[in-house]
Amino acid sequence: MLEIESGEDGRVILSGRLDTAQCAKAQAFLDNLGVPSVLDFAALDYISSAGLGVLLIAQKRAMKAGGSLKIINVNNHIHDIFRFSGFDKIFRIERGTH
Amino acid sequence: MHQKFFRSFDSLEPILAFTDQFFATRPINPAARYTVDLAIDELFSNMVKYNAHSPSLIGLGFAWNEEQVTVTLSDYLSEPFDITQPRPVDITLSAEERPIGGLGIHLVKQMVDSLEYHHKDGCSTIIFTKLTGNDDA
Repeated sequence: MLEIESGEDGRVILSGRLDTAQCAKAQAFLDNLGVPSVLDFAALDYISSAGLGVLLIAQKRAMKAGGSLKIINVNNHIHDIFRFSGFDKIFRIERGTH
Repeated sequence: MHQKFFRSFDSLEPILAFTDQFFATRPINPAARYTVDLAIDELFSNMVKYNAHSPSLIGLGFAWNEEQVTVTLSDYLSEPFDITQPRPVDITLSAEERPIGGLGIHLVKQMVDSLEYHHKDGCSTIIFTKLTGNDDA
């Protein structure tokens, strides 16, 4: 399951699993939010290619608005997914300590 | 250990529970487990997405030894689509140039240790292996 919410400082906090079944939920949340700048992955355990698609749509939107997304607290497994897909080159990424 | 699942993205949750059950008594390195989960997610989702009107269930099976896990997905009523054939993905494109989607099979090929595709009597069978990593320091 995926939980997604806005934190007090404006960052978007995701937790659980961003798999193919949960992408519509994440997409709808981000669409309603507009242009977030920071996504916090501290409690996100898993992402699939469909989840990467959600992130790319958000990044394209942010860049059109003159900004870009920063993804923080990325675990090692998800960082591998970013690396294998080349997403480590198109997002500002900060790895977590877990 | 084998089970059949409805052709729906909603099956990913029971598939995860089935996978958890399988590995409850069989050790696997966390990185290898992530790969197994990802490959099943991507391959099963492709079967749902690109063979949406098939009335058949989709099979998922596991075999394991200390060194590797072997996972088999069976799409019982399907047209041939050999996922092992080269389909280059340009991962150097900028965010503006990037298409949405198309990374699933690329990730699977990058992360599993072997990948086979067979089609016989209308059934597509995908078999992948992943080293369990249990001898890693």
